[in-house]
Amino acid sequence: MNSIIITRAGTHSTIQDFGRFQYQHLGVSPSGAMDQRIITELQKIIPNHQNQFLEFAYVGPSIKVTEGSVKICVGGNCNMSIQKNNNSQLEYQPYKSINLFEGDELIIHNTIDSVYGYIAFEHGLGLEPCLNSYSTDTKAGIGSINRPLNDEDIFNISKDVSSWDLISIPKPDLEKATNFKVYPGPQLQYFSDNTLQSFISGVFTITNQSDRMGIRLKGESLISSKSHDILSEGILPGSIQVPSDGQPIVLMRDIPCTGGYPKIAILNEEDISRISQLPPETKITFDLQTIY
Amino acid sequence: MYFKGINSYGDRGLVLDFGNETSKSISQEVNEVFLNISNLNLQSLNIIPSFNKIVVIFENSKIRDQNKDKISLKMKDTNSQTNKKINKTWEIPACYNEDFALDIKIIQKLHQITKEEVVNLHSSVRYYTYYIGFMPGFPYLGDVPSQLITPRLATPRVKIPARSIGIAKNHTCIYPKVSPGGWNIIGQIPFDIFDLQSSYPSLFLPGDEVKFYAVSLSEFKKIKKHNFSLNELIKEYSS
Repeated sequence: MNSIIITRAGTHSTIQDFGRFQYQHLGVSPSGAMDQRIITELQKIIPNHQNQFLEFAYVGPSIKVTEGSVKICVGGNCNMSIQKNNNSQLEYQPYKSINLFEGDELIIHNTIDSVYGYIAFEHGLGLEPCLNSYSTDTKAGIGSINRPLNDEDIFNISKDVSSWDLISIPKPDLEKATNFKVYPGPQLQYFSDNTLQSFISGVFTITNQSDRMGIRLKGESLISSKSHDILSEGILPGSIQVPSDGQPIVLMRDIPCTGGYPKIAILNEEDISRISQLPPETKITFDLQTIY
Repeated sequence: MYFKGINSYGDRGLVLDFGNETSKSISQEVNEVFLNISNLNLQSLNIIPSFNKIVVIFENSKIRDQNKDKISLKMKDTNSQTNKKINKTWEIPACYNEDFALDIKIIQKLHQITKEEVVNLHSSVRYYTYYIGFMPGFPYLGDVPSQLITPRLATPRVKIPARSIGIAKNHTCIYPKVSPGGWNIIGQIPFDIFDLQSSYPSLFLPGDEVKFYAVSLSEFKKIKKHNFSLNELIKEYSS
């Protein structure tokens, strides 16, 4: 048996995968990793990840091997180190697999110029899926672990490390541009040409009231010429909804399953990952595409 | 036919549009189409019915475009009848005891009726399950008798007890678990309606018929003790 313990949970650490699908008509959100580009990269280094990725935001977790050994890989832009069992410190760069032995501790201090980072574990974390997914939706209380991770959470990985060989890939170029191409939302016609012009030409600031459910923006007020109250309908991540205060919200992975605010536009899938990494106070702009 | 057409929702979604009105007959068509589309085995990630729309979500625009024709064809097929009847009719015990009926006085005052009248009216109607949303397993039921139509609370409650029955506008609902919310709470049911251990975790499905019947506090406690599983509840309370 191989065991690890969370010695410091960090903030917003949860288990995630590529999402929980086929249940949104029963009120279950898709959830899944905020930046799916990173776990896609980690798959190349730890192919046998069992879809059990540890996601963290801002302040990373620390994990210590208490029994046996594990092979892991960190993805994202992080400030981190490894405290070896012989008290020496080891430099560690992301996107390289590393073997950790009993007493070794991975310490992730924080993410740098970004928000989310990930850890992949060979053979996963010994978890059972919940509704066919390992993802956590903390608000709905759904997941293999239905809450954020806590200090002293223990994971047992029964399979031993398959090979001590280390794999690394070049650090992926995760584009950080702040201009987003968006497609018309289902209620685009709820906004006048003037308001649409403000949406396209305006600069919006990401606020700190942003989380896995949505990114709240601050900018010129986008007041609907029709109504800010529509009959609830199905929504998907990336949708930009506008409540009555006119300040848009980009809906993220833990979306409410149906929503009653008009949606002015929607991001493409790749850009959901991209926008998730922009810290509060980042200024962004939108470019409305007419096709689709 | 209320169906108006299929529109794009960004680069990877579709919206099947059934107009802007809401009624039981529109929802019946929506839920029938929902079942028909679900049976097409599309390469979709989610199919989400609501009052007058069905949103279908795909992984990317290529898969979306490949599947759009299949949906269009199905919508043109006028013989497309749902043969498999999967909807149920429920008789659900409800306790309107004052411990649970946190907001019943608001409804009494608004409509100048007694508590007994609220209970009799609420349990007199066979409600239609418009759709499941807001939170896992939360059924939007309707319509409530006109003497019970009540706006949402001006200030939403921070913590509504699990299994509470609520009324907002012309709808009634059951909160599957503890949640913040703005519905007027009038009672509670004695069992859970959402179970993650079950392969089909929601007790109610869009299109189900639901009628409540009043039970005393002692009867409520007796049923609660059983800790029924979803499968047992189906046997016990549906037909």
